[in-house]
Amino acid sequence: MLIENPLSTSPGAFPVLECLHIAGFALSIGITALVDFRLLGFGLRTQTPAQIARAFEWWALGGLIVAVFSGLLIFSTDPDMYYLNWSFLIKMACLILAIAFNYTIHRRALSGGLSPAAGRLVACISLVLWVSVIFGGVFIAVVRPGLA
Amino acid sequence: MLTSWLIWLQNLEPFSDLRSSAYVYPVVLALHLSAISLFGAMIVATDLRLLGWALRDGSIADVIGRLRWPKRIGFLLAATCGFLLFSSKAEEYYYNSFFRTKILLLILVAIHALVFRRSVYGDPAELDRAPESPARAKVAAGLSLFLWLGILCCGRYIGYVEGRAGMHFK
Repeated sequence: MLIENPLSTSPGAFPVLECLHIAGFALSIGITALVDFRLLGFGLRTQTPAQIARAFEWWALGGLIVAVFSGLLIFSTDPDMYYLNWSFLIKMACLILAIAFNYTIHRRALSGGLSPAAGRLVACISLVLWVSVIFGGVFIAVVRPGLA
Repeated sequence: MLTSWLIWLQNLEPFSDLRSSAYVYPVVLALHLSAISLFGAMIVATDLRLLGWALRDGSIADVIGRLRWPKRIGFLLAATCGFLLFSSKAEEYYYNSFFRTKILLLILVAIHALVFRRSVYGDPAELDRAPESPARAKVAAGLSLFLWLGILCCGRYIGYVEGRAGMHFK
């Protein structure tokens, strides 16, 4: 190899990245779940869903950024294994869908552009998408390697 | 005495089945992580309010009161999944130093709750009377964040300790 990835040669780096990854996604997905459960009528009912989203906007975005960048570094240690892994590809598809959904339809539900029933549906879709990302991540280590 | 009980536990049929199943174990792990996300965000929301860094237009009492039961349910979910993961390899976990540290930190969380029950969590309306969140509330919130982050990291590191040879798996 032309340049050795330093993350692959230092055994202590990988678990640190994983801890950052878990802490980051727990923060961002958890805050989104707080908003979603509020759309469903549970939790911080004194605030509107939009107020909760705004109050923790930067924390959720910060968690997402930490999760994505630690994830990219984890990916860099063994790219062939990851992009030839069904679970990883499904995880990436769910992640892109979840982020796109969050900044379009989900945002419209928060600004009051949808009926309450549609808001509840949006909350359920958001929860399912984000939990799918977590399942996709765990199953990378479980599914048979390769796309065949 | 304790180890013989752990060996008995891990060899009970549902837990030994869980150990040998290729797919149920990761499903429980993914549910554990999902519950951690939900529970963790509620911990962070409460602590950020106690620190005065978020939701300042709402009262502390309101945030603590509204999240009390959701937090209990979230913890119960995470702890149930965690117990299932533990029970299938109870003996191995018992010797794992990160698992021991995680349990120790969980005991510290219980002590934290007892210590701050009277001054912070039990009477949050009192905290709202001051214009700024009192120092004791900020200390409680900072310690809580520190402890839970430690628990999260210990959980991940459990998987990096090699299991001992000679485990009594049936």
